[in-house]
Amino acid sequence: MSNGNGSVRIGFYVCHCGTNIAGVVDVKALAEWAATVPSVVVSRDYKYMCSDPGQELIQQDIRDHHLNRIVVASCSPHLHERTFQTATAKGGLSPYYFQMVNIREHDSWVHKDKKAATEKAKDLVRAALRRVVFHEPLEKKQVPVRSDVLVVGGGIAGIHAALTLANAGKHVYLVEREATIGGHMAKFDKTFPTLDCAACILTPKMTAVRSHPNITMWTLSEVAEVGGYVGNYHVKVRRKPRYVLEDACIGCLECIEACVYKQAKVSDEFNLGLGKRKPIYIPFPQAVPQVVLIDPETCIEFKSGKCKKTCVEICADRNAIDFKQQEEIKEIEVGTIIMSTGFQTVDAARIPYYGYGAYPNVYTSLEVERLINASGPTGGEVILRDGKKPKAVGIVHCVGSRDENTNRWCSRVCCMYSLKLAHLIKEHTDAEVFNFYIDIRTPGKGFEEFYCKLLSEGVHFIRGRVAEVTDWALDPSEEGKLVIRVEDTLIGRVRRIPVDMVVLSVGLEPHADADEVRRQFNITCSTEGWFLERHPKLAPVNTFTDGIFLAGCCQGPKDIPDTVAQAGAAAAEALVLIDAGHVELEPNTAYVLEDECSGCKSCLSLCPYTAIAYHEEKKKAEINEVLCKGCGVCVAACPSGSIQQHMFQDEQIFAEIEGVLAHA
Amino acid sequence: MLGIYKQEAYERHLRFQRDADPTWGRKITALPGCEGILTCMQCGTCSAACPLSVYMDYTPRRIIATVREGFREDVLRSQTIWLCASCYACRVRCPREINITDVMYALKREAIRNRMYPPHFPIPILARAFFDMVKRRGRSTEFWLVLRMALRSNPLILLGMAKTGWHLWRTGRLSLGYEKIRGVGELQKALASPREEV
Repeated sequence: MSNGNGSVRIGFYVCHCGTNIAGVVDVKALAEWAATVPSVVVSRDYKYMCSDPGQELIQQDIRDHHLNRIVVASCSPHLHERTFQTATAKGGLSPYYFQMVNIREHDSWVHKDKKAATEKAKDLVRAALRRVVFHEPLEKKQVPVRSDVLVVGGGIAGIHAALTLANAGKHVYLVEREATIGGHMAKFDKTFPTLDCAACILTPKMTAVRSHPNITMWTLSEVAEVGGYVGNYHVKVRRKPRYVLEDACIGCLECIEACVYKQAKVSDEFNLGLGKRKPIYIPFPQAVPQVVLIDPETCIEFKSGKCKKTCVEICADRNAIDFKQQEEIKEIEVGTIIMSTGFQTVDAARIPYYGYGAYPNVYTSLEVERLINASGPTGGEVILRDGKKPKAVGIVHCVGSRDENTNRWCSRVCCMYSLKLAHLIKEHTDAEVFNFYIDIRTPGKGFEEFYCKLLSEGVHFIRGRVAEVTDWALDPSEEGKLVIRVEDTLIGRVRRIPVDMVVLSVGLEPHADADEVRRQFNITCSTEGWFLERHPKLAPVNTFTDGIFLAGCCQGPKDIPDTVAQAGAAAAEALVLIDAGHVELEPNTAYVLEDECSGCKSCLSLCPYTAIAYHEEKKKAEINEVLCKGCGVCVAACPSGSIQQHMFQDEQIFAEIEGVLAHA
Repeated sequence: MLGIYKQEAYERHLRFQRDADPTWGRKITALPGCEGILTCMQCGTCSAACPLSVYMDYTPRRIIATVREGFREDVLRSQTIWLCASCYACRVRCPREINITDVMYALKREAIRNRMYPPHFPIPILARAFFDMVKRRGRSTEFWLVLRMALRSNPLILLGMAKTGWHLWRTGRLSLGYEKIRGVGELQKALASPREEV
């Protein structure tokens, strides 16, 4: 047998894998049978082919017997294809002259009948022996990796990843949708379980981002378009107008004072509508950048064009206000991308029986964070909408979590932040605080101790999911209160507990536009909508798209320490690519036989990696080898059969099929 | 069968917050030996370890939860506190090292002080008779102790005990004498001093 490059000399090896394979497949018989196949020069069985002596065996045989093809029958190629390819290469052959046969997962592990399993092994091996004849020596492609990095999302995850990369000397573009970086963490008062102040630990990192020479920070900006591939992404970023020149504004805030609106009248988004702001404003005192912005929806100048523009007057020396500012598109080239787009909280109004939106004194946990925060709308006082201090507060856990009607997952942080809020509310108001929980989940460092501390503080823990929050009093003692009805499963009684304030501990869910974003970046989502990591355990920050990494809650709910750890890991993964300088690509790519391509374009729309382009002059399809992942869709779809794929050539596949079927 | 349809068969299990007395709960948790109540994580090890929990209306775990929530009536009227035999199995196993036996003692004292037990209920009578006897004579004599408990609770139980008592007396295991230690006065002084402080 020959492929035209001289005679084929195959070395065949069957691995015992201890008893994993040898316990079911008669490996001696298999090796003896393979020796009789034409072109097989060496046929051996060995206890562990993946061991050093096993690999050495292959190398020695290549040298001694002038082998030019290697076939190993062992486990899944996922485990050891690389191992044996390397051994083949060390023996002096192209690693692509190697073929692997999986007789463990596909045979010995799934069959009991030894005789039949041995026969099946022969079929699989025969297929490989026939296929390997047609193998070609291929070359791996190398593409350079740009050292600039794009970080999408400026919460704590994005901030930490950006700073890590910038400190390593790489240039980072940090793109944030809101007017300030900081994300959800900037809204929190304290952080569990240590109770250190969120702003005190976050704002130094925020200002470090602003002043870092290696970071280009774009707020009020969104990624508009992503093209390219690992190492060479072209990204367009849309910078929305702020109507204030970022370079000119020094954050003196005098314009806010001078605004023709004497009173703040507009609902304040940063404080979740609990406070008011003016049309010209800064989200919160420590916002980064320290630059005001104008909301065109409420600014009189935008609405009527007849404003006195007192803001412009007061800013005359710096002239930072520019009503004519336009949207801008920035184009950048980066090698790697870190996604840190975060999460949104569940809309509590989706659970109507908790009365959010119907009863003014039902709050979400994030709103209460703002109430407790000294820079919040009440200056850090926990007061109800009528200005009174609550005497009894109920905290309802698992709102929009662990529920088939909203979200099935546990949001992981709510138990701990509810405990934290219980502590802070008790500290601020000395109210009776009731926690209503299904399970208390405190699986972090210092978390259980924090729970124990809360128990000793005399906070009530009532195990039971709240059935309803109502203002319907069944008893005079409940008049004018919100009544929480719950089964206290610990004391075994249904209870009605009147409170002044209800806090709904809302869960975390993917952003409403997470699916659009994932399409834009060509990454995948889990069924829940969280961005999917390449492997849940062993590649938790990688995505299925090379060069794009995940950090923080866009991948799933997590607390601040885990977010920061993941952001650091994502930065390190990006640095791996940058410092290597290039990536190697498997040569199993598709290619177009130009003479035969009719230019019908049917392959273009099918390619999941947008690797195929249409060459207008030649009127032919063109495949970008760097983008091609070797999925084979175009190969199968091409009506004229003019797309072929390395490692999956027609003759290779036909030989393989014939080999499997030859026993009949 | 018809009985379950009678109105009194339906006890109201709903608890309003006015049924609870959180100050009472806090008072109990402040007692010596009861501090641990607050840190209880309701794992139920105490109930599982307790040899008598299978006879209790409220398991020890549930007693602790009910104390914490301040449902005084439910706690003090439960049989649990009287069934506790002070074997300390719960205390040994408790992962939070709560002195559950001490809690039971505290609740028993609370119930006795408030006379919140059924009339003629033998256990508090026995407890009181035992203490009186020890205070007066320095030691207890089973025959007189049991006799006193029976007379004050239900004398008919003596009929059931008669045969055993006869055998015990015949084999010299039951003394009819009324025992006393020397220097009872000193003991009474010693017992009186901490009581003055309470």
